[in-house]
Amino acid sequence: MKRPIFTLFIAAVVCLATTGDAVARKKAKASIKTAHAVPVKPKKVAEAGLAEARLIEVYQLAAQAQGREALTKAESLVQDYPHFQLAQLVYGDLLAARTRPIRILGDVPESMLKAAAPVLVELRDESQMRLKALRERPPPGAVPSQFLALSPRNKHAIAVDASRSRLYLFENRPTGLALVADYYISIGKSGLEKNAEGDLRTPLGVYFITSNLDPKSLKDFYGSGALPINYPNVLDSKRGKTGRGIWLHGTPPSQFSRPPQATDGCVVLANPDLDQVIRTVEILTTPVVISQRLNWVTPNSARSASKPFEEALTAWQNAKSSGNMDRLLSFYSPDFNSNGKTLTEWTPALRSELDKVRGHAIQLKDLSFLRWTDAADTMVVTFGEVADGTRSGPTKRQYWGRQGSQWKIFFEGVIG
Amino acid sequence: MKHTRSTIFATLRLLTLAAACTTTAAHADEYGDVSQLLRSGKLTEAMIKADVYLAAKPTDPQMRFLKGVIQRNAGKQAEAIATFTKLTEDYPELPEPYNNLAVLYAGQSQFDKARVALEMAIRTNPSYATAHENLGDVYARLASQAYNKALQLDGANAAVPPKLALIREVFKPNLKSQTPAAPAVPATVVAKPPAAVPAPAAAPAPVTAPVTSVAPTVAAAKPATAAAASAAPAKPAVSDNSVKEAEAAVHAWAKAWAAKDMSAYLGAYGKEFDPPGKQSRSVWEQERRKRIVGKASISVKLENLNVTVNGNKAVAKFRQDYRANALAVSSRKTLELLKTGDQWLIVKESTGN
Repeated sequence: MKRPIFTLFIAAVVCLATTGDAVARKKAKASIKTAHAVPVKPKKVAEAGLAEARLIEVYQLAAQAQGREALTKAESLVQDYPHFQLAQLVYGDLLAARTRPIRILGDVPESMLKAAAPVLVELRDESQMRLKALRERPPPGAVPSQFLALSPRNKHAIAVDASRSRLYLFENRPTGLALVADYYISIGKSGLEKNAEGDLRTPLGVYFITSNLDPKSLKDFYGSGALPINYPNVLDSKRGKTGRGIWLHGTPPSQFSRPPQATDGCVVLANPDLDQVIRTVEILTTPVVISQRLNWVTPNSARSASKPFEEALTAWQNAKSSGNMDRLLSFYSPDFNSNGKTLTEWTPALRSELDKVRGHAIQLKDLSFLRWTDAADTMVVTFGEVADGTRSGPTKRQYWGRQGSQWKIFFEGVIG
Repeated sequence: MKHTRSTIFATLRLLTLAAACTTTAAHADEYGDVSQLLRSGKLTEAMIKADVYLAAKPTDPQMRFLKGVIQRNAGKQAEAIATFTKLTEDYPELPEPYNNLAVLYAGQSQFDKARVALEMAIRTNPSYATAHENLGDVYARLASQAYNKALQLDGANAAVPPKLALIREVFKPNLKSQTPAAPAVPATVVAKPPAAVPAPAAAPAPVTAPVTSVAPTVAAAKPATAAAASAAPAKPAVSDNSVKEAEAAVHAWAKAWAAKDMSAYLGAYGKEFDPPGKQSRSVWEQERRKRIVGKASISVKLENLNVTVNGNKAVAKFRQDYRANALAVSSRKTLELLKTGDQWLIVKESTGN
């Protein structure tokens, strides 16, 4: 009688063999945390990612025909996370397996089926996505192809892979980007590629966290906090995209996690996971890449891919240092637009900048550039522009677009 | 279907258990009197009689058990729980107090506690059918709760019926055959198959819902034969001889059990027999030996034996009245037999549905 449920999980877990250390991984992560001695207040918080690790453990036990043990673990899991619906579903299956065969995840009684069908589909999706992300791990040492160069000021970086309902959190160490955690997330009800206000889609692109909203100012619906991102960014606006208020935020008290496609366009994490992200990241300097499917590359290949762009950037730097206006202007695209100003309207401002630095070379401090490739190829560049002989300068952001083999600037502005 | 079960069934179930303790001859009258009063609803008198008896013999488990039933029927849930809890502490080897404790907990929708109590009952006596059945129901109930939380079906909480009704719903009556309602059981066995025929279409998979009625298990449990049954509602034609042989094998098994003839008893089980739980054959045999040989006396009576034969396979369904020492348990039982050589040997033994 108990047997059929095991087959149910076997398919899911067989491929997990390589990630059977999901629990161990969480533990390892915990020790990393202490090693870094981040001054976390000794507040009692639910550990990020723990609920999922425990769920996977239940799956694995069930797959190994350890029904009793699985049931016990599931029971304590739902006691600790009563609103973790997927865990409740699995717990229900394990209980029901003691009285009848279970054929499928969420084998609810016929009487419940009608009312439950849509939610069941969502919970099965969630289960599948969580397993997928744990099965298809990023190659060790690899980074998302967007992160070409990060500066020491970018202490962390975030990448969202919608195809796996996953958010990857990186720490930018002297040795390079290191993946420190990843969490299940939900995106827009209508999917990706936000275009217009109210289209219930999550934007695709390179963004930055702009602020950290006080949870007290938020409705329960947003959970334990919110990190807005700068949608629409320069590229979005150039393309006429509309909408606003895209946040990374938490879940309401009644739901530990939400289905893979559930939001109005925001990226939603379970509260313990969001809390960990909030504790980790920095405002303004933490990039957030949202992608349909991340392309993982080795840091070396990322570096070599960025060579042509680096040359263009150095040429621009030299042009600006030279003080030659015509030469400098050749780097700017005809469709340049800086906060509503066309290139012609903006040229006087550029000229006065040149006048100021005349005779002094400029240096680019804390340079970072992230590449976004879709129909177009775009580079989002951030640096501090410091003229020789001065101690500081404005932090600038440029958007470069590739036309053929030529990189041209279509936005330039001062941030922060 | 569930709602047709009246309070009386739930009560009778507890009475059945109470009656279980009425076998020691010397005190049969007192127990019988109290039971009678209970049955006729004279709770106050029953309580007085029980208390008088207990004043003289305060530890007597049978009368304390009856007292618990009286308290429960009088609506004194907390006192009944206390009585049964104390009994489980004083007589941890008795499964019945655990079972009734579970009934009371389930009545309060405390299915987790009910589950623990029933698991204790089964640990105490692995073959205790009532607890197995009840535990199945409690698991189903817990599963349903978990599903409701998973699916966020708000209706679920609102729909929880009043506590006593819940007992009716969760627990099936476990009637002894001599009770007035009993004739209905064999009657439905015969009458039900046509009604059960639409079921296979609605529920194609062999899911035996624990709360379905007693009768259609033949159709529900064996999808393979269900088709045949619907084509020919009558018993498939098999030689009377096979049926008689299989019946004889079942009777011989019961006789060997009652006689504590272990070699005959264990010999009634075929090589293919799958011991319950995760036990190995030898562990199971050891356990049976321990349970059976240790008893002063055992009586196993079979009632409403119904054997169906299909080729070299037979299914025997019956009500088993088991008495050992002071315990008596009445349960439904199904034996699946396989003809091996010229012998019918048991390959599966299950209680309840």
